[in-house]
Amino acid sequence: MPLSTQSQGDDEQYVLVACSDNARNLSNILKAISFKDHAIFTATPNGLRVTVEDSKCLQANAFIQADIFQEFTIREDSVTFQINLTVLLDCLNIFGGSALPGISTVLRMCYKGYGYPLTLFLEEGGVVTVCKINTQEPEEPVDFEFCSTNVTNKVILQSEGLKEAFSELDLTSEVLQITMSPSQPYFRLSTFGNSGNAHYDYSKDSDMMELFQCTKTQTNRYKMSLLKPSTKALALSCKVSVRTDNRGFLSLQYLVRNDDGQICFVEYYCCPDEDVEEE
Amino acid sequence: MNCVLEGNCVKAFGKAIHALSRIGDELWLDPTATGLALRAVNSSRSAYCCFLFSPLFFHQYSLASGPELGGESLKCKLLMKSVLPLFRCLTSIERNVKRCQVSVSTPGDRVVIQFFCRHGITKTYNLGFQESEPLQAVFASHLCANALKAPARLLSDMVMHFPVSQEEIMLSMTPQRVSLRNYSEGGNDHLKKMFTEMSLHPDEFDFYQVGVDSDITFGLKEFRGLLSFAETHSLPVSIHFGAAGKPVCFSMEDMVLEATVVLATLVDSESRGPSQHTETSTPTMPRGADVAVRPVDSCEVHSNKNQDLPAETVVVPSSQGSPIITTPVMMQLLPQHDSLVGLCVPNEASVRDATTPASSMICSLLFRALLSQEGEDGCPDRLPVLACYSDGEEEDFQRSPSL
Repeated sequence: MPLSTQSQGDDEQYVLVACSDNARNLSNILKAISFKDHAIFTATPNGLRVTVEDSKCLQANAFIQADIFQEFTIREDSVTFQINLTVLLDCLNIFGGSALPGISTVLRMCYKGYGYPLTLFLEEGGVVTVCKINTQEPEEPVDFEFCSTNVTNKVILQSEGLKEAFSELDLTSEVLQITMSPSQPYFRLSTFGNSGNAHYDYSKDSDMMELFQCTKTQTNRYKMSLLKPSTKALALSCKVSVRTDNRGFLSLQYLVRNDDGQICFVEYYCCPDEDVEEE
Repeated sequence: MNCVLEGNCVKAFGKAIHALSRIGDELWLDPTATGLALRAVNSSRSAYCCFLFSPLFFHQYSLASGPELGGESLKCKLLMKSVLPLFRCLTSIERNVKRCQVSVSTPGDRVVIQFFCRHGITKTYNLGFQESEPLQAVFASHLCANALKAPARLLSDMVMHFPVSQEEIMLSMTPQRVSLRNYSEGGNDHLKKMFTEMSLHPDEFDFYQVGVDSDITFGLKEFRGLLSFAETHSLPVSIHFGAAGKPVCFSMEDMVLEATVVLATLVDSESRGPSQHTETSTPTMPRGADVAVRPVDSCEVHSNKNQDLPAETVVVPSSQGSPIITTPVMMQLLPQHDSLVGLCVPNEASVRDATTPASSMICSLLFRALLSQEGEDGCPDRLPVLACYSDGEEEDFQRSPSL
């Protein structure tokens, strides 16, 4: 394969090199957070973290561990840049988005450092494409200060159970209200739309409920427009953990298995909608 | 009102709502001692559908209501777009829903529909409603000249040959055969259209009664909605109709439910005219748009454009022997409830003052069904009535055909 025969000497100039024999492993997970054009890439020896934010109220992170890649070389402790995620996804899918069995796009992603473009070498069926995407000054991602010690309520559900609910959500509702409680209704998603209210209740004894740790009754509302993009991550995932902390901030963590069975994580943080009175 | 559906009945209920949604944008709920009636009517009141679920259909059925209503069960209407999404995916309902509860909560002014699903999941929907008098079209199907009964499958097989975009079809009946053909307005596109016609021998039908040879044209979409339901439940469908212009009634029933669709048919000057009538008068055209008729889909047909149809139109008296009355006179009769007269007015008859030549219109089927006051003056609306509104307490007419 042309990419693997590239002389190792070239790598000296790159601060980051990541190779994968299936570009879809990266593109699928990035699609789950692609609700905005721009993303912040942070690479550490542990792997890649891609962050997308919306109006400082919503943050989505995709974590791709170093061992997902066939080769992952980083010459600094941390490499950060901002890049147009839409363009990146278009390039990763340059050979077409369809997933034919046995055919995959080989990817070699290289970055020389501050001010340099991100270079992608993509190969499929003997055809090589080189893409150079300009990088930008990275913005500092918002720190939601969400830590496990402040978590008041936590549930882990099988994604199957939530997928139908999220696909049926009444989008005329401005908010999605999440109620978590040690007593009835345990875990409830509510919408308040033009036709009326809808409530989805998950019992703590449900076989979809893998973990139920609720210490006190909490009801929080989140803007529907902020949470709707998380449906993409939900669709890819097999499990989701829903946590709220004492401020009402929401953390959604999705466990995603890629084509090769490897595990990646996608995380959404959302701040509560303060303007509205709780019901 | 509080009723509980279990298992497959939830899917049947959902399928009924799908059929009703093909008719109108609002869903009338009318819980009574004889069962829960779901009804819909279209905006031009030329199509009406009613599903009546007997108390046996439900796992639990109670009409208990709050004291504010004085013991009466609440009758209301909901927006179809609020209710239909709840039942949209029938396969998922079949797979996941174990029980469904429909109740009316007066303190909250809400209709509450709750789905108890597998995996400990409960979905609750609180829908806003509007109180409303019940809607009902009274149609004396047992007085119709023609009647057919066939398994839903047979009718579906006939109808499936027509494209989905086909708006209206024409059903023709003679003692020798029944045929279905597509109806098209405007003769200019002969070269671009595909005409389909199929005929069936009377032996194909479970019941075949020809009182008057007729060709009726009605909306296919509405008919398909009912057929889809009938096919799922393998129910035979009965069709009652008369001459063109009078409504056609499709009905089906089993032990726990009855369904009826009443559609207005086109006043068609192209029809051959019933064979039994000997009277004819000078050919006159159906009335124009300004006189008391609300057209459906603004379809205007120019007669005499189809080569195989007679150039003359025939004014025929009612096959039931009702007096032929002119439009202004007929308007006075509308508030009466016992009027078979109101029911059977042949539209060709009131054609004296036709203005535009050759326009066929669908007459409004229901009149004042949506108004709650009875005491209003005769005609707030100048529409001929083909089937009278009744306020539900009158049991004068049996809506279901008895064959």
